[in-house]
Amino acid sequence: MGCSASLPDRSSSGRLVGPNSENGGASDAKNLRVKLVLLGDSGVGKSCIVLRFVRGQFDPTSKVTVGASFLSQTIALQDSTTVKFEIWDTAGQERYAALAPLYYRGAAVAVIVYDITSPESFNKAQYWVKELQKHGSPDIVLALVGNKADLHEKREVPVQDGIEYAEKNGMFFIETSAKTADNINQLFEEIAKRLPRPAISSTQNP
Amino acid sequence: MEGSSSSSAIFYDFLDRMRNPASLDLVRSIKSFIVSFSFYAANPENDGKKVQEFYTTMEDAIRDHPLWAGATDQEVDCAMEGLEKYVMTKLFSRTFSSTPEDVKIDLETSQKIHLLQTFLKPEHLDIPTVLRNEASWLLAEKELQKINAFKAPREKLLCVMNCCKVINNLLLNASMSENHVLAGADDFLPVLIYANPPQLHSNLKFIQLYRRQTKLVSEAAYYLTNLVSAKTFIFELNAKSLSIDEIEFEESMQAARTTNKETEKEATPTLEGRTTSQGQTDPGPSARSHDKETSGASNYPYMDKEAGDLTIGDVERLLSVYKQVVTKYTGLCTAVKHLSLSRTEPHVTNLEARNVFLSQPEKTGKNSDQRVGQ
Repeated sequence: MGCSASLPDRSSSGRLVGPNSENGGASDAKNLRVKLVLLGDSGVGKSCIVLRFVRGQFDPTSKVTVGASFLSQTIALQDSTTVKFEIWDTAGQERYAALAPLYYRGAAVAVIVYDITSPESFNKAQYWVKELQKHGSPDIVLALVGNKADLHEKREVPVQDGIEYAEKNGMFFIETSAKTADNINQLFEEIAKRLPRPAISSTQNP
Repeated sequence: MEGSSSSSAIFYDFLDRMRNPASLDLVRSIKSFIVSFSFYAANPENDGKKVQEFYTTMEDAIRDHPLWAGATDQEVDCAMEGLEKYVMTKLFSRTFSSTPEDVKIDLETSQKIHLLQTFLKPEHLDIPTVLRNEASWLLAEKELQKINAFKAPREKLLCVMNCCKVINNLLLNASMSENHVLAGADDFLPVLIYANPPQLHSNLKFIQLYRRQTKLVSEAAYYLTNLVSAKTFIFELNAKSLSIDEIEFEESMQAARTTNKETEKEATPTLEGRTTSQGQTDPGPSARSHDKETSGASNYPYMDKEAGDLTIGDVERLLSVYKQVVTKYTGLCTAVKHLSLSRTEPHVTNLEARNVFLSQPEKTGKNSDQRVGQ
């Protein structure tokens, strides 16, 4: 278990981006800078997903901030735009639930993670969805992620439940495995495509 | 994160340019902005907005200024860092912890931390054993406590970042050497809370209001949020926030309060006296840190006692104070040992820079003093 990454996964379609200016709020139509907040029960693998995403694309020339709880990673999309994700991890333990608004305030994306082997974590995910619908910024992009998809034999939350819940709430849904890196890059690429673009952009928004 | 040595260079460069006769118009704007603050009573949210607007106006003015003709973004940024430091140092006593509410929250928070310190243990926050590293925690706390040595928002923010980096390193090291799965914020926040931030409310509010907004993004914003979050957690903390029996929690808090009351009686300045004097006139940072020292000493109520003064009833308290002292002493010893191995040089220069800066107005004498006035 855990997120001991094996080999870097370079098969993704999101290309690497060289050093990009750390300079403040350099967000324009071609280069988006996006605050992404991670929510979900303690132990569902929030941090592992991000580490997989960041390390999986590791390249000495890319400027990646590796902290224990704040990470950033830039991906390039096919339409030659880039998206820099600034990923805010949150503590998942129940005792810190009331502090979450401090973190998701101003976030453009919320990734809500549960563990497919834990129905309680799925319930908690639904709690976060409701909270964000009430208090998050109105145009926030929500993604529901069922993690630990490699543990088929222990699955307790059917894929269908995730799909249906996400559909009902107008969210993007995906099952991932931080362990095998399955769908990790897809998750972030899909989010990147769904971001509202400031004018000019030629991206096909859904 | 830029080192602090470059910070003094930036600031000197700013002062130098302000001494150039060509910058007279900028100096006038700065001066009249600072003076304008003495006309109104403190109103943190409004003041913050005014300062942020001033930064924006000045950034435009600097960009268009002949002295900065052809300057890169980075050079303009440096000038702005210098400006922020100058303006906020001048306005510090007027803007830091400027309302009775803020003073009260600071006081309440530090009182609560005092009480909690008597019994709170890492297991109450379910902090994994591999992360219970007294030396690292002390180091993080030490970084954070430097926050009161600085007046500029940028430097205060650096203290927050340095503190968070120590904790980050602790987590990263544990994940590599101890095979502890890196759990990100699940581990980060509890350790930060347990690191017992000193009375932080005013410092955090000051940074949020007066640090240039373009700099309060990404990593800096994240770690600042974590500290706000730790402070909020402590402020709201009750038995339900901890892995502790509710009755045990109440009893421990009560016991700590009794001890504190006894010690207050014996300590010279009364709490009430202190609050009112702070509410009326701002005693400035030096007076405030003096308060802190005396309240720290009052933790050890038996210092001026003779053996004959003690009664059987004192034994329990004496023992708990003794235990506190021993725990702190052993902790400090370990930390000092580690410190001598991994000394952090930059802060020495930082403090030097500060002293030089504070004496700056005298040193530069008439010509700059007249223009960039008090």
